[in-house]
Amino acid sequence: MADEAIRTTNLTKIYKEKSKQPVHALNGLNLSVQRGEIFGLLGRNGAGKTTLLRILTTLIKPTSGSASVMGFDVQAHGAEVRNHICAVLQENALEQFLSVRDNLTTYGRFHSVPPHEREARAQRVLDQFGLTEYKNKKAMDLSGGLKRRLQVAKVFMVDKPIVFLDEATTGMDPINKRAVLESIRAQADGGRTIVLTTHILQEAEDLCDTIALIHEGRIIASGSVATIKALATSVFELSITFESMNEELLAQLKSLSPVRFEQTGNVVELCINSVDGTVLDTIAQLSRISRITHLEINGGTLEDAFVELLGVSREDTSWK
Amino acid sequence: MEMILAVLYREFRIRTTSPVWMFFDLFMPLIYLLMFGVGLDRAMSGGVGQFGGEMSYQSFFLAGVLSMACFGIAINTSYGFFVDRENGIFYEFLTYPMTRGEFLVGKIVFNCLLAVVQSALTLSVGTLVLDIDIRWQYAWFAASGIVVGTAGWFFFLTILALRIHRNDIFNTVLNVAYFVLMFASSMFYPVDSMPAWLRTISLMNPLTWHTDVLRFATIGIGNVETIILEAVAFGVFLLVSFWFAVRTLQHAVIK
Ligand SMILES: Nc1ncnc2c1ncn2[C@@H]1O[C@H](COP(=O)(O)OP(=O)(O)O)[C@@H](O)[C@H]1O
Ligand SMILES: [Mg+2]
Repeated sequence: MADEAIRTTNLTKIYKEKSKQPVHALNGLNLSVQRGEIFGLLGRNGAGKTTLLRILTTLIKPTSGSASVMGFDVQAHGAEVRNHICAVLQENALEQFLSVRDNLTTYGRFHSVPPHEREARAQRVLDQFGLTEYKNKKAMDLSGGLKRRLQVAKVFMVDKPIVFLDEATTGMDPINKRAVLESIRAQADGGRTIVLTTHILQEAEDLCDTIALIHEGRIIASGSVATIKALATSVFELSITFESMNEELLAQLKSLSPVRFEQTGNVVELCINSVDGTVLDTIAQLSRISRITHLEINGGTLEDAFVELLGVSREDTSWK
Repeated sequence: MEMILAVLYREFRIRTTSPVWMFFDLFMPLIYLLMFGVGLDRAMSGGVGQFGGEMSYQSFFLAGVLSMACFGIAINTSYGFFVDRENGIFYEFLTYPMTRGEFLVGKIVFNCLLAVVQSALTLSVGTLVLDIDIRWQYAWFAASGIVVGTAGWFFFLTILALRIHRNDIFNTVLNVAYFVLMFASSMFYPVDSMPAWLRTISLMNPLTWHTDVLRFATIGIGNVETIILEAVAFGVFLLVSFWFAVRTLQHAVIK
């Protein structure tokens, strides 16, 4: 498809190390990213986000399945893929021996920014990221937060159509984070495709056009932020302690068709799918059957909600 | 080409941030030549007999020093992979718009130039101070030998550096390998004067091929047919190493 920036089909990655259990980092992952959108991969640590980005940036080869970037297969046409991308890796990658400014200009040189433009761009990026006062410092002398800022700043030196950002804002203070997020937004408005990973819901919500939830190496849900949020906000985690437990109560609880249900004595933990507001009515109904001595309600984060749902949906196929 | 130049420029910038290292890179072989060459010449007080003629030990050792210097620069450059890996920049490089081959060539070109400058210094001092009779008309041949030698060893060491993920193990392997390679070669003494078993090993050692070619190019010692054979053998060693190094970069970067 012409307006597709990235596509993966049954992408699988198994890390094999001697004398260790193989790690299935990606398990048949399917993904499609449109050009010009900000695409967020949201998932817990270990979900496989970095592995996916490593494959898309040609750092590692998939074990099976395929992936293409701007129509180029990552395995067969690695160099072509690299012509269209720039990436902020999860770990900092800086020229420790070079100054902040030189880090920017060398990055520009590698990405074919014309010589006469490099200095001007570097100056603009320095200003944009509040790095001007450090421009002559060597990267190795910067604090952790500043290093991260410089690392992220580099991609704003170049105009590659696709930008990968792996946990770009990790370790940044809120003000700089804001600035970074705004810069990313501006880039996308200019037509670039941004693929970012994060384990922070808020960030994905604020920034992304499309979110994909990744769990155990698979995409378990994807869609616009609004769609995903609507799904997520209807999931509640309840922990209720009743004064006493009886058949009627159990029947009532079951009739809520919980996606997860656990009972230990008088304590019931359940996860229900319910439209906004009605959850309180439900609880009120329950309390008429048996008095509630303790109650906890969690709106469940976007991620948790889906992880819970996925965990349950494997056993309970009745859940839609 | 643009990418090779960008990598070259980067290596230049990194190297020149440390003038001390630049100094060592440029003058180390000279120091070797002066200390070992002259010292051993005195100790042996008769020089080395080869191909019917007698020559001073420093004349004989000159090519050994040059090939040792190429090897040394190749080691330093390949060691850079560990530094880059520690700084994370190594992985980022691999996402830059270039082929793995361009990356490797770019990394070594600056260092090849460094090796040529270093050799020119060593040869000049050899002529002026040590009175070694150098065939300057073959300087182009010597320079090519220096470039090819440095690149060949670098590609070979790249394979090791990328496959051995820990730099302490790399160091150990390198120290042992270097020791064996140096003494089983024509670097310090003529192959003809070796016991048969050592001679056999030496003749299969790329360090011998390289040293012999440089010896021929600088002081004109050696049998032309043998030298051609050795030059071709080293060329093959370079190409095979390059091919494997590129493959290693494509496959074994992150386990
Ligand atoms: N080089 C590696 N060797 C072995 N296992 C790895 C390697 N890199 C990642 N993993 C494992 O693969 C899984 C996915 O990791 P990763 O892609 O880093 O997830 P995320 O970025 O979402 O935190 C984890 O279980 C992790 O421990
Ligand atoms: Mg990660």
